[in-house]
Amino acid sequence: MAAGSLFLTQFNWSAFINALVLGLSIASIWLIAALGLTIIYGAAGVINMAHGELIMLGAYSTYTLQTSFGIPFLLCIPLSFLIVGAIGLLLERVLIRYLYKRPLDTMLATFGVSLVLIQGTRIIFGSSPKYVDVPEFLSGSLEIGFVNIATVRILIFVVTVAVCVALWFLFFRSRFGIQVRAVTQEKEMAASFGVNSGRVYMMTFALGAGLAGLAGAILCAMATVLPTMGGNYLVPSFLVVVVGGGALAGSVAAGVGTGELQSIFAYFTNDTFARFVLFILIVVFLRLRPQGLFAPSAKRR
Amino acid sequence: MNLFHNVRAQWLAYAVFFIVLALVPLFVGDDVFLLNQLSMYGVYAMLALGISLCWGFGGILNLGQGIPFGLGAYGMAMTMQMQTQDEYNPMPPFMLNNSLTELPWFWVPFGNTTVGIILSIAIPALFCAIFGWTMFRARVSGPFFAIMTLAMLSAIGTLFLGMQPYTNGANGLSPPRSLQLGELTVDPYSPGSYWVVFGLLLIATVIAKLMTLSRSGLVARSIRNDAERVRFLGYNVAAYETMIYTVSGIFAAVAGACMVVLSQYVSPDQFDPTFSLMMVVWAGIGGRMSLLAAMLGAFLIQGGQSYLGDELDATWYLFLGTFFILVVRFLPKGLVGLVESGLGRIRIGSKRNDGDSAASEVSLNPQPGA
Amino acid sequence: MGFFEIRNLRKSFDTVSVINDFSMELVELTLCCLVGPNGAGKTTTIDLITGRQKPTSGTIMFIEEDITGFDEHQIARRGIGRKFQVPAVFRDMTVRQNLEVAFTRTTNPLKNIFRFREPGFAGKLDEILTLTGLGPRLNVEAGILSHGETQWLEIGMVLMQNPRLLLLDEPVAGMTESEIEKTVGILNDLKKTNTLMVVEHDMSFVRRIADVVVVMHMGSLLAKGTIKDIEADRRVREVYLGEEA
Repeated sequence: MAAGSLFLTQFNWSAFINALVLGLSIASIWLIAALGLTIIYGAAGVINMAHGELIMLGAYSTYTLQTSFGIPFLLCIPLSFLIVGAIGLLLERVLIRYLYKRPLDTMLATFGVSLVLIQGTRIIFGSSPKYVDVPEFLSGSLEIGFVNIATVRILIFVVTVAVCVALWFLFFRSRFGIQVRAVTQEKEMAASFGVNSGRVYMMTFALGAGLAGLAGAILCAMATVLPTMGGNYLVPSFLVVVVGGGALAGSVAAGVGTGELQSIFAYFTNDTFARFVLFILIVVFLRLRPQGLFAPSAKRR
Repeated sequence: MNLFHNVRAQWLAYAVFFIVLALVPLFVGDDVFLLNQLSMYGVYAMLALGISLCWGFGGILNLGQGIPFGLGAYGMAMTMQMQTQDEYNPMPPFMLNNSLTELPWFWVPFGNTTVGIILSIAIPALFCAIFGWTMFRARVSGPFFAIMTLAMLSAIGTLFLGMQPYTNGANGLSPPRSLQLGELTVDPYSPGSYWVVFGLLLIATVIAKLMTLSRSGLVARSIRNDAERVRFLGYNVAAYETMIYTVSGIFAAVAGACMVVLSQYVSPDQFDPTFSLMMVVWAGIGGRMSLLAAMLGAFLIQGGQSYLGDELDATWYLFLGTFFILVVRFLPKGLVGLVESGLGRIRIGSKRNDGDSAASEVSLNPQPGA
Repeated sequence: MGFFEIRNLRKSFDTVSVINDFSMELVELTLCCLVGPNGAGKTTTIDLITGRQKPTSGTIMFIEEDITGFDEHQIARRGIGRKFQVPAVFRDMTVRQNLEVAFTRTTNPLKNIFRFREPGFAGKLDEILTLTGLGPRLNVEAGILSHGETQWLEIGMVLMQNPRLLLLDEPVAGMTESEIEKTVGILNDLKKTNTLMVVEHDMSFVRRIADVVVVMHMGSLLAKGTIKDIEADRRVREVYLGEEA
């Protein structure tokens, strides 16, 4: 009892609440990085090992648009979405579409793609770090009461929420969304109703790649642009997808959960140890709920 | 009957492979650095062997082979580091620099060389058994298992990187002296250590090959076909998967220990996901369904990297990535698939041989591949 | 206490109840047919018995032991063999290898790691081949067998396990008349040494093999008795036979 009240008086509430806010920011970073992966996995069952490199391409396209064409940062975000989406479309047409029936081979082939993309970028842009200029208002920070947060993190959070809402409308309120869900659930049946599953897969892959590009564009506001930067996002976004079970709502929940836990553990220990504990927790979670948070029940024979 | 699937022919191929490897030091002569480098290929082959066993034969894609590899390597490095400490100087210098006042408890057992060497294999094996059992019991399989191994690898890598006072962080451990076994100093630049590494590889290969030919191999093959059906026959599928994953992990741990003996250096780079993925690339390009082809794949790619990597410089990974994509796309069985279909066109003439292969098929259930 | 008994079995998914207070028992060395219209819960019952799904409540007793909630392999080891509705054989493996895997005297992975042959296999193999007539197809890959042969191979695999109780889910689905004839022969032979439970739609087939018929409807027991009792039962005619006519 005494120890408890001591804990309450000595506990630094303002720092803890700052950690919670930071957790929300980490969550939005992991989530925006994971959204493209979620969509591609959820709809087509493809695990894209080159996802991190698509994020990297988004960052480089923003850098190029800015330095070579003088396009303002905020406009680079939608343009990167389109550029990387187009790259994704190309990738799907020349490689991925031949591998839909071989999930493990898709993983490996996309790993090959990631090697090619990293090295290709290195040859074109060199290995030295690049920096993207951000507008004045994004380089400061905001103070509300005792909560202090960088404005760039707020921007990322807002964009993530906006993208999630847009995706929800796309998947649950549009014709394309109905087609995607039909193909995901019962491919043959959807085909017999005239849904072209090849086209749906292609568009989904392009959309997922585009989202990676968007993530890269916005994340480079707070990260250094390097050919190898994709590796930092791959594992967190995988975990968001695995914990979420490949569904959009699952990824949102998983992103918030893992981001907050990471920040809270880091508050009590440090970043690396927090990450380790989080991973162990995810392993335990998967032991109890292997299908993830929001996965549809497995098909029966 | 394709000669490629003939178990006797397969054993013969292994015999030729190992005899050639055993003779290599006789031709290298005095270039001890080259010999040391060649010994390292035994380590790569051992890693490829583990991947082939786990992925090709067990159907378990494992992108975290760096975990047992790194744990084995750190175990051996700690053992060798402790061999240079004594009563007056009980702690490795980097700990003093990180202002530790006494040796951490988990370093203590490595003070005894025998215990240290046993632990460098036992800890990774235990890790694989626990992690594998947890995942396989929950029926996490296929791509999800692959992702979890990758995530685990990255977690352990960050842990070793972050625990600066205990692991020397990014600098890693570089034991100043070669491994001492009693009175014997293991000279990493001698033909002796070359033969030891390849001797261990031979033992591992024979174990792996016998596993593929045994009843457990038959069960593993059935699991690859239809895991659910196997459960209803009364087999505990998770136990089989855990066993294969753990044996493959033990191979990687031995490889890690050998690597440290040869290089006297370990760092968190051993946990780099790209290296673990590279092991999968070796096996994939050579042919994951064949233990021998996976090992040759490791030789091919690592050799290419050492010799072409310098010349092609930046374009090497571009080339490797493209090559790997093409293999996955067009040759799912790897380059050895070409050998298989090539041999399939040659009919084995003599009746005796046909009878033999049929008999071996009946009793030994050959795996596809050598 | 009997040989095999199900008491008050229930299974629900979220709010939908699939099996509703279902009870039945089996007498040793008899053949019981489980019949009922589509969606009556027949396959779910088999799933619950073999551990593929876990019951929400109720108990399943097999030879004096409560096996409710056990894993698939534990139930299989106690002597319950199952043939699936869609024949499940290892398609990339030969008929012989399929039967060899199914000969499960030793299931421990550590004991099988360096074990190359199983004593007693050859004798059992002969027995199964005589019964199923698959002898000439021994070294053929299971994937290229005809539909009927695949069904018999799976029955052979189940028999290889030496089960005390066999659960066969629609064993004659997709078979030609002469293949059905042969299967009837096999099943009537098996009755002498094993206990069987057969899920079936086809009443003319049930008539030729059943000692006892259990009718399920909406996840519960509707009627139980000999084929004559069942065919005379008015309720059964309404829900089931009525549909067939």
